[in-house]
This record gives sequence, structure tokens and C-alpha cells, in this order.
Amino acid sequence: MQNFANPTRFLALANALLPWVWAAALILLGLGLYGALITAPADYQQGETVRIMYVHVPAAWLSLFAYGVMAFASAIAIIFRHPLADAAAKVAAPIGAAFCFIALATGSLWGKPMWGAWWVWDARLTSMFVLMLFYLGYIAVWQAVEEWDLAASIARVVALVGAINIPIVKFSVDWWNTLHQPSSVFKMGGPAISNDMLWPLLVMGLAFNILFVALHLTALRSEIAARKLHRLHMHDVGAL
Amino acid sequence: MDFSAPHIGFVLASYLLTAVVVGGLVIAILATDRGRARELERRKNAGSSHDR
Amino acid sequence: MNAFLALIARDVKLTWRQGGGAGAALGFMLTVIGLVPLALGPDQNLLQRLAPGLLWLTLLLSVLLTADRIFQQDYEDGSLDILAMGDQPLELVALAKALAHWLTTSLPLAVLAPLLGFLLNIAPGGLWPLAAGMMLGSLALSLIAGLGGAVTVGLRRGGLLAALLILPLYVPILIFGISAATAMTGPSGAGSSLIVLAALALAALAVQPFAAAAALRAYLR
Repeated sequence: MQNFANPTRFLALANALLPWVWAAALILLGLGLYGALITAPADYQQGETVRIMYVHVPAAWLSLFAYGVMAFASAIAIIFRHPLADAAAKVAAPIGAAFCFIALATGSLWGKPMWGAWWVWDARLTSMFVLMLFYLGYIAVWQAVEEWDLAASIARVVALVGAINIPIVKFSVDWWNTLHQPSSVFKMGGPAISNDMLWPLLVMGLAFNILFVALHLTALRSEIAARKLHRLHMHDVGAL
Repeated sequence: MDFSAPHIGFVLASYLLTAVVVGGLVIAILATDRGRARELERRKNAGSSHDR
Repeated sequence: MNAFLALIARDVKLTWRQGGGAGAALGFMLTVIGLVPLALGPDQNLLQRLAPGLLWLTLLLSVLLTADRIFQQDYEDGSLDILAMGDQPLELVALAKALAHWLTTSLPLAVLAPLLGFLLNIAPGGLWPLAAGMMLGSLALSLIAGLGGAVTVGLRRGGLLAALLILPLYVPILIFGISAATAMTGPSGAGSSLIVLAALALAALAVQPFAAAAALRAYLR
């Protein structure tokens, strides 16, 4: 299974869809930013700082969603042995890690004025931190193993074991947090958030998600091209 | 948005950082995709000319 | 079942004969604990407060350092190929080897590590919950180490990758191990933390054979 089973149909679909997906992502991003930066009111407690939420929270959602895509693709790869699924899992990881990094960095920028420190080991940040470690481990597997088939088999195991562990980590970190009783200066609004703050948040979340689809499809197309190039190269040197 | 509000720098830094990371990601992925597509095209043309 | 027990016995014997076991790992723990007062100062109260956490951290690291031993040798000399072709499913082979690692390395370390607490002026009341938590947790530590060892078995520089993959999986065990050891100041007694540690070990017991066997098959193919 050196080659992707049948990427022709996927490529045709991706090429047809991608312009529309990119356009939808851009339009939603523009609308979301307009809502987040202009129409949404400042918070009565946090002031303008609350606007960090509109990038921080969608980035955190997306980094979880991307791991879900990765784990789902890995499960499909195990069940149906379709190499395209391995490639889909592989290229989802760096995108998820980038958004995880955004969530951590903007969380830190939000924490400084709110908590008075760049980094606080509260439950959410700690869980995100561990999620980042899972991403790094998964990416490291693909980097460390040269042979594609072997890397794919190992990466499936790593992705699924990580997926089983993420809820366990979340549960233990929440428990650990109650054990240490941090000084919670502020709490996220929860569902009681007002409508003119809620819609920009949801639109930004949707925009990030569609942006992920665009990036993921492009990276997958790119990965298929890389495999084809690799095969041509092997052909040239006479290995095939 | 009130640009004289306290901590406005943190808000701007957050958006700037997100723009840089997302922009970098978009550019990197698009550039790799273009580069590989071009290379494939080149190989295809070269392959047909000396007819393997 | 007999073949399964025989495999565990073989691994335990081999480890003992080669002097692999817990000895070197215990020496490593002793060294690290010896460096702690040099790094943080000899303040008795400070050391007492940090003792459970430091002991747990050194336990995790020393189990981690022995993770590559679980499958490496059998992979390199071909015994793993023979075991894979035998009657026993590879899942049971992977489980047996992780259990042998637990018996020879993690469990002895978990029994002896709390004694090192005396060097850190550990609170007398905290000794038993620490030891109980370590003993329950060590099973999960070995199983996860076995998983990390299987995933990196054929790689030339797999050690660092194994560490990167294993340590995040140790997060829940560390949290509940510490929670049991410091239960006197926590919201609940040590009992509930110990139950969670046992549950984590059972979960690792359920997942490890399949995941490790899947990784080993990829290398043996």
C-alpha cells in the first residue's frame, strides 16, 4: 500500500470544492471580525480585554476539533486500510497544533491583565497544554519514522491512544484544579453571555472551522502530490 | 472599539499573533501545494519528452 | 494461560540474570533525590512539602528510562518474530512483557521509593498513602511504558520520542498519585484517589495489549 488507493476522485472533489471553501472562510472571517471588534460591546468587568475571547475560544474549539478529525481519520485507516485516511490524519496535526498554540498564547495574553501573570496553571490552560504535548508527540512520530507505511501504522496507534487519554486528562486536571483551589479572578460568562457577544463568537468559531477544512483539503492535496513525487524519485533511482 | 482602554495592547497583540500564525500557516500550506503541483507538472513534461 | 505465565517467568528470569531490573533505576532515583537538596537548599520544611511530588517525578522518570528494555532486546535478536509466529496472540505477548517489567522494575521501585522519602524529611503520615498510590500506579506506569517501548522499538533514536509519547500519558497517574499522597490537605480522603488509580491501571490493562501489539506488528511486518 505504498500509494494512495484512489486519489483521483478525491482530487477532483477537492479541486472543485476548494475555491468555495476558501471564499466561505474569508467571508465568515470578515463578518466575525466585524462583530468581534466593532459591534460587540466591551464587558462591564473586563472592558475591551474580553475581545481576546473571539480568537481564543474558537482557536481552543478548533484544536480539539482537529484532534477529533485526526483520531477519526486514524480509526478509518485502521478499519478500512485506506492510506488516504492516514494522510488526512497526518496533515490535520500541524494545523491543530498551530491553533492549539494560538489558544495557549492568546490565553496567556488574556491572563496577564486578568490574573496579573503570563501563565497560570488553571484547569483549562493545563488541559490545553497537555493537548499540545499530544500534538507534538504525534508530529514527532511522522518526523522520526522515515518509511511512510511504518510511520502511518505507528501514528494511528499514537493518535487513538491520545484520543482515549484526552478525556481522562481533562477529568484529572479538573480534579487537580479543585485540589489546589486557584484564585479565580474571573469566570467565563457561560451560557448567560449576551446575544451581541454570542453571535460574533459563534461566527468566528464557524469561520475557523471552515478555514480548517480549506487548509486540511489543501494540505491533503499537497501530501498526495508529495507521495507521487516520492514515487517518481524512487522510480528514477531504480528502487521500484 | 475604544483604543484608549486599559490593556488594549493585549487585545491588539492577541489579534496580531493570531493573524501571523494563521497567515503563516495559510501561506506555508498554499506554497507547498503550489510548489509540489509545479514540480509534478515539470516531471510529467520531462517524462513524456524522453519517453520512458 | 500457561504459555502466558511461562513468558512472564522467562522475562523475569532474564532480567534478573542480566541485573537489569530495578537496581540501576533505584540508583538513578537515589542520585536524583540526592541532588534535590543541593538544588533547592536543605530547608527541612520545604523538602517535606515537596517530598511526595519529587518522589513521584523521579519514579516516573526512572520507569521511563527502563521503557526501551521491554521489547528492544527481543526485537533485535529475533525472539519477538518467533513469539509473534507462535500460538499466543501478540496482544498477550505484549501484555506479558509489560507485566514482567512491572514485576521486575516498577513494583520494586514503588515499594522502595517511599523509603527515599526519609532523605526528604517526608511527613510520617504521608508515607502509607504515598506507597499505596505508587504501588497501584506502578502497574499503569509499566503498561504505558510498554506501549511507548512498542511504538518506538525499531527506531534507532527512539528514546527521546518514547519519552515525548509516554510522559503526557502519565499526567493522570501523577495527579491522582499526588492527590493520594497529600490527601490530608485535599478535599477528600486518600481512598477515592486510590480507587481512581486502580481504575486507571485497569483502563491501561484494557488498552495496552491491543495498542502495543498493533505497533509491534507494524515493525515485524
